[in-house]
Amino acid sequence: MPRLLFSLVVAAGVALMAPVAMADQAEDLRREMDSLRQQMQAMQQGYETRLQQMQQKLDALGSKAAAAAPPASPSRESLAKLAGQGSAAPPPEGSTAWSQAVQKLNPDLSVILDTFYYNNDSKESSAHLLSGIKGFGDPHGHGEEGHTHGGNDKGFNLRHVELQLSAQVDPYFKGWATVAVDDEQAELEEAVIQTTALPYGLRLQAGKFFSGLGRLNSQHSHEWDFVDQPLNYRLLLGEHNLLDKGVQASWLAPLPFQLLFGLEAFQGDNETAFQYLGEDLPEKDGPRLWVGWLKYAPNLGGRHGLQLGASLARGVHQEAHDGDGDGVNDHFLDGHSTLYGLDAVYKFKGHGPHGQGDLVLQGEYLYRRKDLDLYRHDLRPELTGNERLDKQDGFYLQGVYGFLPRWRTGLRWDQVGLINEGHSPSGAAYDYDASNRFTAMLDFSPTEFSRIRVQGSRGSYVLDDGDQDFWEFFVQLQVALGTHGAHKF
Amino acid sequence: MRGKLTMRWLFVALIWAAVLAAGGAAAQAQPIRIVTTTPDLASLARAVTGDLAQVTSISDGHDDPHFLQAKPSYVLAARDADLWVRAGMELEVGWEPPLLSGARRPDLLPGGPRHLDASEKVLKLDIPTGPISRDMGDVHPLGNPHWWLDPINARLAAYALAQRLARLHPANAQAFEANLTAFEHRLDAAMFGPALVDKLGGNSLWSLELTGKLDAFLAEEGLDSQLGGWKARLASKRGAALVIYHKSWVYLTNRFGLRVAAELEPKPGIPPGAGHLTQVVRIMREQGVKVILLEPYYPRNAADLAASQTSARVLVLPNTCGGLAGGQDYLALLNLLVDRLAEAL
Repeated sequence: MPRLLFSLVVAAGVALMAPVAMADQAEDLRREMDSLRQQMQAMQQGYETRLQQMQQKLDALGSKAAAAAPPASPSRESLAKLAGQGSAAPPPEGSTAWSQAVQKLNPDLSVILDTFYYNNDSKESSAHLLSGIKGFGDPHGHGEEGHTHGGNDKGFNLRHVELQLSAQVDPYFKGWATVAVDDEQAELEEAVIQTTALPYGLRLQAGKFFSGLGRLNSQHSHEWDFVDQPLNYRLLLGEHNLLDKGVQASWLAPLPFQLLFGLEAFQGDNETAFQYLGEDLPEKDGPRLWVGWLKYAPNLGGRHGLQLGASLARGVHQEAHDGDGDGVNDHFLDGHSTLYGLDAVYKFKGHGPHGQGDLVLQGEYLYRRKDLDLYRHDLRPELTGNERLDKQDGFYLQGVYGFLPRWRTGLRWDQVGLINEGHSPSGAAYDYDASNRFTAMLDFSPTEFSRIRVQGSRGSYVLDDGDQDFWEFFVQLQVALGTHGAHKF
Repeated sequence: MRGKLTMRWLFVALIWAAVLAAGGAAAQAQPIRIVTTTPDLASLARAVTGDLAQVTSISDGHDDPHFLQAKPSYVLAARDADLWVRAGMELEVGWEPPLLSGARRPDLLPGGPRHLDASEKVLKLDIPTGPISRDMGDVHPLGNPHWWLDPINARLAAYALAQRLARLHPANAQAFEANLTAFEHRLDAAMFGPALVDKLGGNSLWSLELTGKLDAFLAEEGLDSQLGGWKARLASKRGAALVIYHKSWVYLTNRFGLRVAAELEPKPGIPPGAGHLTQVVRIMREQGVKVILLEPYYPRNAADLAASQTSARVLVLPNTCGGLAGGQDYLALLNLLVDRLAEAL
C-alpha cells in the first residue's frame, strides 16, 4: 500500500513540475530557431550573390562563344561549300570559262595546218618516180587523166588543211567528220557515226572511214612519224590508205590481254587495190570489199607497250587499160584482190620530260595478190577469159627516239617487191627486183600543238625506164588549232 | 553438209557464250576494282575502302601526269574497273579519252555512274578570269589541276569517293563511312595536331581554317600552344618566298601561307629560257628566296643555274605519292613535303 502512495505522490509532483520545465525548453528552442533563420538568410544572400556572379560569368562566356566559336561541328557538306567559296575567282557569267562550258554542247573543232618544202635530185617528179616502180604500176592504165595527185612539187607544198568536227551525238552515238582542203579542192576524208553504249565490248560504226587494218592505215597524216607514207602503203593502198564507205563491227574480248576483232564491209572504191569500174565490165553491187583484222596486246606493265596485228582484205578489183596508147581503153580485166598484213609496234615511255627517252619501234608487212580474168580485149579477142596474176609485197621498219625533251629522231627502212612476180593474160611471166629506200628524220615540237621536221631519204627504185638512185629532202611545219584530241596507242 | 556447217557455228557460238559467262561470273566474285589516274587518288581510295577494294593507279608517280601515253594495258585496266577516278580539271586530257573510249564502257565515261571526277568538291585555284589562249601556255580553263597537295582537298575528295562508293555498293556503306571518318581523323591530327582535334573536332578546325579565323580563335582561347602537326611545323615560315618550276605547288603554298616569288617556266608547260631565267634570278635576289622547288621529272639544270647565282638551294621533291621516294600514301607524302620545306625555308 505505501508503495502505491509513493507512486501517487511522485506522479502528482511530476504533474505539478512539468509545465515549469516545458516552458524553459520552449524558450531554448525559440532562440535556436531564430539563430538558424539568421544563418539561413546569410547563406541565401551569399548564394544569390554567387549565383549572380556565376550568371554574369556565364553570360560573358556565352557572348564570347557566340562571337568566335565555330558552328557546332560543321558537316562535310558545309566544308565543301566553304572550299567552293574559297576557290579563286569563280568565273563570272559571260566570261571565257563560262562560254567554254557552253561550247561543250557544240562540236569540238580542230584544224591541222600541214605545209612542207620538198626537193629531190632526180630529173623526175616524185609522182613519176612512185608510179614507175616496176610491178606496182598504175592500175588505171596509161593515158587516163586526173590521177597525178600524190606527187610533191619541187618547192613549197601545202599538204592540206584538215578540219575536224567531233561530238557526242547523244548517249548512244558519237560522230566526227574530217574535211581535207588543199589549194585546189576540198575532199571529205572521214564522216563517221560510232556507237558508244553497246555492251560486251562491242562497237559499230558506219560512214566513210579509214579501215582498222594494219597500224598506219587508220592514222591521219599528222600522226605519222615521217612526212610521207611508207612505200608499201603508198604503192599497195594508194595515197589515202584504205579509206572507204562502209560499216565496221569490232569486239574487245573479255580476256586478261587485249584481243580486238574487227570486221568491215566496204563499198570497194579504193583506186589502187580494190577498184570498181562497172563501165565496160560486169556490174557488181556493194559491198565489194570485206576486211577482217585482229589486234593482240599483252598486258605489259611499267613503261612498255606492245601490239601485234594481223589483217586480211579481199574484194572486187577491175582494171581497164589502153594497150596501144591511142587514148581509148582496149582491154578490161575483172577479178579480186587479196591483201594480207602483219604489223607490230612497241613503245617505251622514257623517264624524261616532254618525250625524252621515248622510243617507238614499228614495222608492217603487206602482201597483195591480184587474180584477174581478161573480160574483154578489143585488140586480141582470142585472149578473152585468160588469167592475169600479180603478186607484190613490201614492208617497212622504223624507230623513233626522243633524245632530248621535245626533240626526236627517227630512221626508216622501206622495201617493196621482195615478191614481185606474175603473168599477163598472154602467159608472159615477169619477176622484177625489189626497190628500197632509207629515210632519216629529225623533229622538234615546241609544244604538243606544233612541230618542225626535217627529213632526208635515199631511194633505189627499179623503174620502168631503168634503175634510179636519188635523194629526197623535206622540211615540214605542222600546227594544230582548237581542241585537238588525244592520240591512241 | 549444210547441217554440219550449222552445227559447227553453233558449237563455236556456245564456246564463246561459255567464255563470256565465265568472265561474268568471275567478275562478280572479285572485290571492288577501283582504277585511279594518279597514285594520290589511289591512296585516298585505299583509305576509304580498306580491304574491300583492289585499287590500282594508271600513273605510278614517276612521270608528269600531264604527259602519260595511252597504251593497251591501261585500256584493259579501265575496261575491268568498277569505278574510274580522275583528278579532272584537264590534268589527264592528253591521255584519258582514248583509254575510256577504248575500254568500251559507257558507264565509265564522264558523267557516267562509274566515273568520278574527284575535283568536283575541291577548292580550286588559278581559275582564269579573262580570255585565255594557247599563247599563255598550258592554262586550264577550269583552274590549276594540281589540287591534291592541299589537305582539305584530299579530305573532300575522300568524302566524294565514299559518297559514290556508298551509292554503288550500299551493302558496304557503313564500312566506307567508318573508314572515311578514321582517315579524316588521321589527316586532321596530322594537320592540326591530335590535341586540338580531340578538343575541338576536325570539322570545326577546318571550318575555321577555311574562313581564315583559326589563328584568331586559337589566340583568344589560349590554345595556340596546342596547335601541332603540319600547320605548326610551317607556322614560323609563313610568308617565306620560294621559286617553283611548274605551277604544281600552289595548293601547298596557299594552304601553309608560303609565297611563290616566281616560276622557272616562263609560261605553264614552256621550258625556261635564258631571258626568263635572268628575270627569275633578279626576283630571287630582291626577295631573298632560299628555295627552288621542283619535281624529279623536270630537268634541274635551270634550277641549278639560278641557284648558283643566288644563295638559294634546289629542293627536288615529289608532288605525288608513289614514284621517287614519294611515300606510299598521301599522309606520308605530306609529311615528307612539310618536313623538307620546314628544314629548308
